[in-house]
Amino acid sequence: MQAFLITFASVVVGGGLAGATVIGLVNSQTAPPDKSPANVSNPVLEYGVTQ
Amino acid sequence: MPAWAIAVAALVLGPALGPGYLLTYDMVWVPDLALRPDFLGLGSALPRAVPSDAVVAVLDEVLPGMLLQKVVLVGALVVGGLGAARLAGRATAARLVAVGVYVWSPYVVERLWIGHWPLLLCWAVLPWLVAEGIRLRADPRIGAALPFLLLAGSLSANAGLMAATALLAVGATRATVPRLLGLVVAANAPWVVAGLLHLDTATSNAAGAVFGLDAEGPLPAPLAALTLGGIWNAEVVPSSRELLVLPLVLTLSYAALAAIGARPLARRLGGRVTIALVGLWAAGYLVAVLSWASPDTVGWLAGHVPGGGLLRDGTRSLALCAPLTAALVAAGVQRCVEWCAHRAAKLLVMAAGALLPLAFMPDAAWGIGGRLEPADYPAAWAAARATLGDGRADLLVLPFTSYRAPAWNHDGKVLDPLPRYLRPDYVVNDQLVVDGRVIAGEDPRVPDVLAALALPDADDRAAALAQLGIGAVVRDRTVPTTRASDAAVGGTAVFDGGGLDVVVLDAPVHERQVPAGWLVALGLAWAAFLGLAGFGVWNGGRAISSRMRTRPGPG
Repeated sequence: MQAFLITFASVVVGGGLAGATVIGLVNSQTAPPDKSPANVSNPVLEYGVTQ
Repeated sequence: MPAWAIAVAALVLGPALGPGYLLTYDMVWVPDLALRPDFLGLGSALPRAVPSDAVVAVLDEVLPGMLLQKVVLVGALVVGGLGAARLAGRATAARLVAVGVYVWSPYVVERLWIGHWPLLLCWAVLPWLVAEGIRLRADPRIGAALPFLLLAGSLSANAGLMAATALLAVGATRATVPRLLGLVVAANAPWVVAGLLHLDTATSNAAGAVFGLDAEGPLPAPLAALTLGGIWNAEVVPSSRELLVLPLVLTLSYAALAAIGARPLARRLGGRVTIALVGLWAAGYLVAVLSWASPDTVGWLAGHVPGGGLLRDGTRSLALCAPLTAALVAAGVQRCVEWCAHRAAKLLVMAAGALLPLAFMPDAAWGIGGRLEPADYPAAWAAARATLGDGRADLLVLPFTSYRAPAWNHDGKVLDPLPRYLRPDYVVNDQLVVDGRVIAGEDPRVPDVLAALALPDADDRAAALAQLGIGAVVRDRTVPTTRASDAAVGGTAVFDGGGLDVVVLDAPVHERQVPAGWLVALGLAWAAFLGLAGFGVWNGGRAISSRMRTRPGPG
């Protein structure tokens, strides 16, 4: 049991580091421009979008 | 333990703690919010911000708005974390894990991003209400903190319902029920009475079903809800929640740890409290899942049953799941620590348990990767506020749309802060646009204002607006607009600068009359709310003096 728990704990820490790296990479490659161009035909802002 | 809770809170908020106002979606704080009749529930719109706006307007007379906002945000996260630690028992590992699971959760991050701070205050006091309920079962005397916990947890309708449910579910016994009901009614009286007085407009648009529980990336909605995520608005979901592997492993880890911790937790809490916590979890989860599984039912309820709109943002109710989730995961990690024979292994498992939520949602760190960035209001706003003063009658802000993304707010979306920044009562457009669809609001004056703005002549518009009780118009020229939501209005220009202009209408204003019955009813409701605060002060003072009397003397 102890060996399993140590393995799991290592996976948590390693997984976190890997996850942070992947997210950082994806964000840096897919981030929108700092200022999106205004939508002249419909300038009313959306409250949000669903999936 | 406080140091860990403070560290986690500081890591979540990050740059939001810097100078300036955090303005994000529905979170609007201003330097000095003026108390006005509408904040008490006397407005024409359904009182969604009763009593939170009034409470802030009073408290920011003591602490400046900027500082008060920081205190509320940090305080909520730290208090919530410490409450979860208290519920987790005495073992250090369990307490550390409970803080992490409770605070570093999609619920907190998403509600913080969308600006629902009264809901976060409710979430923060829930474990304390559960703990107080447990104490009340043994000692039916009202604790010194209970009135304040209820007041802080009842600053909006959803929050008040959840706080009341948690306290009654855990703490209700024959001896305590009458007093607890009294406290709960007093804490919720302002929004309940204000809502009853607006019963004719207390139904919401059935299209509001879009606000239900939603999937997060490839993670199906019911699974997202298990780790307290699944907010309807994909714009406020951290990127890590949209990668299948991270939330899926987190969900499986929580489920495994909960299964391991279930028996020891139930043994420690006892059958009655365990049943109450499971009941709260089930209620919160089912309401959330209902809003996903049957949005039409929720939409129908919102559109036809007064108050049914409280169900439409289904994931709000997941706060009820948070105390049991944190306690179960904490108990599971504690059991794993006990299984380890060596000290180093115990420490490793404890550290992994405490860091588990952080590792699987790393982008929540530092104000969601820097997105929670405070801003300063333009100087012209203060000048316009000074010029307009208390105004006469109500204020209309143009363009007549609800959300802004000002450059000075780092292009971040926020409910237009200008009406709250200025002093008079105001009418705002409560229509919302989601997925390109317009969802009608509840304020009956909004269609009339739009009709008035559609009139062909500026003086005719002014006369029509004056008939609606509007005495002044402020225009923010920096906001993109359309002809339907903006038009010149005749009157006397009293301010022009920094992108704002203020026009006082010359036409005779038909001021809104408030029925005397409303004043009496809301007066009684606020008296009950303030009475609860007064009772809390008296009760707290009595508890302190009692402790000082019973403390043994030096001899």
